[in-house]
Amino acid sequence: MLDMLSHSFHLLIFPGGLFALLLGLLLKGFDRKICARLQRRVGPPILQPFYDIIKLSQKETIIPDTANKAIFKFAPVFGFMGMMVAAMLIPVPGVWNGATGLGDMLMLLYLLPIPAIAFMLAGSASSSPYGAIGTSREMVLMFAYEIPLLVVLLTVAIKAGGADGSEFSLAQVVAYQHANGSFGFNLSMIPAFIAFLCFIPGTMGAVPFDLPEAEPELLEGPLLEYSGPLLAMFNLMSALKMVVVMGLGVALFFPGTIPGGALANLAWFIFKCFMLMLVSVTIVRSATGRLRTDQTFKFYLKYPSVLAYVSLGLTLLLK
Amino acid sequence: MSIIDAIKSKAVRSPWLYRINAGSCNGCDVELATTALIPRYDVERLGCKYCGSPKHADIVLITGPVTSMVKDKVLRVYEEIPDPKVTVAVGVCPISGGVFRGSYSVPIMLDDIIPVDVNVPGCPPRPQAILEGVAMALDIWKTRI
Repeated sequence: MLDMLSHSFHLLIFPGGLFALLLGLLLKGFDRKICARLQRRVGPPILQPFYDIIKLSQKETIIPDTANKAIFKFAPVFGFMGMMVAAMLIPVPGVWNGATGLGDMLMLLYLLPIPAIAFMLAGSASSSPYGAIGTSREMVLMFAYEIPLLVVLLTVAIKAGGADGSEFSLAQVVAYQHANGSFGFNLSMIPAFIAFLCFIPGTMGAVPFDLPEAEPELLEGPLLEYSGPLLAMFNLMSALKMVVVMGLGVALFFPGTIPGGALANLAWFIFKCFMLMLVSVTIVRSATGRLRTDQTFKFYLKYPSVLAYVSLGLTLLLK
Repeated sequence: MSIIDAIKSKAVRSPWLYRINAGSCNGCDVELATTALIPRYDVERLGCKYCGSPKHADIVLITGPVTSMVKDKVLRVYEEIPDPKVTVAVGVCPISGGVFRGSYSVPIMLDDIIPVDVNVPGCPPRPQAILEGVAMALDIWKTRI
C-alpha cells in the first residue's frame, strides 16, 4: 500500500509528472531563447512553451475524414504516458536516488523509443503523405541512434558493476559513481559520453537530425494533421522527453552532488540538465542545417557507435 | 478574474502564423519571408512562429488576388484552420485585384469568400506595414481566444 502511494507520488509529482513537465517546458523555453540570442534575434519569452500549451488547449480539434480516428487520438496519449513513466525512473542525485527495483536502464531503453513509436503511429494514422514520409524517416532515425545508446548503457553497466559482472539499476550506477567518481571525468568513459551527446539531438529531433519533422520540407511530418489539445499533448511529450534524456545523461555521467541539502541539489540537477541541453541541443541546432536521411544514418553508424565501442573495449580491458 | 481566467488569457501570447499564396506574384511572399524570418524584424519575440500546417495556425496571411483556379483550394485550406482564427490580407491584390484587376482569371475578391480582418495595402507592403498588420491582428486575436 505504502509502496503504491510512493510510486504514485513519483509518477505524478516528483520526479515524474508535474516537476518533469514544468522543468521540461522551462528547458524548451531556454532552448528557444538562447537559440534566438545566438542568431542575434530577440527571441520569445522564456515562458513561451507554456503559452503555446495554453493556447493549443483552447483551440478546436480537427480530425481528418480519412484518418484512423481511434489511433489518431490514441497516439499522443500513448507517447505522453510512456514518457511519464520514464520520467519517474530518473534519479535526481542527492534528492531522490531512483525507484528501487524499478529504476532499470534496460527498462528505460524500452521506454525511450515510445515517443518515436507514437510519432510513427500518428504519422501513419493521419493518412497524410507527409506523415507517411515522416514515419519512415522516424524509423530509420530510431534504428540509427538506438545502437550507440545501447552500447553506451552497456558500457556504463559494466563499468558500474565493479570487478565482477554488470549493474543495470540506475540507483546503483549513481551510488557507484558517488563512491568512485563521476564517469564523465573518467578517461575511458569520455568516448561514451561524446556518443551520448551525439545521441541526444537525434532522439530529441533537434536540427541536424530532425528528419521526421523537417519543417521546411515535410511541414512537421507526423504532426501535420494534429491540432489543438492533441498537438499540445505531443508538445508535453517532447518536454517530458527532454527531462528524461537530460536526466539520464546526468545520472550516467555527472551524478555528483553538492553540499547544502536537497534544495541545493535540486537546483544543481536542473543546472546540469540545462548545461547538457545547451551543449548537445541548443548550440548545435542554431549552428547547423539538416542532414539527409542517408547522411544521418551513416553518421550514427560511423562516429557515435564507434566511440561507444571504443569506450566499451577500454572498460573491458581496464576491468 | 479567477486564476483559470488569468491562465487562459496567456493564450494570446502564442499566435502562430500561416501563409496562403492565392495566386500572388511572390512579391508579397518574399516580403513576408524577409519580414518575419530575418533576425532584424524577429517576430518570434511576439511569440509568433511560422507553421507549415494550416491545422496549427492562428493568424492566416493571404497574399495575391484570388484567381479562379486557386479559389477552391484557398477555401479548403481556410476551412482546415481550427477556430479561433484571424485573417490578414497582405498586399493590394486581395483588396482590389491590384495589377491583375479586370483579368479574366480574377473574377472575385478575397472579401467575397473569406471574412478578412486586417488589410495591409501595398505592392508589396513595406516590412514595417506587415508587422503593423500582424500587430493589429494580434489585437483582434486577443478578443477571440
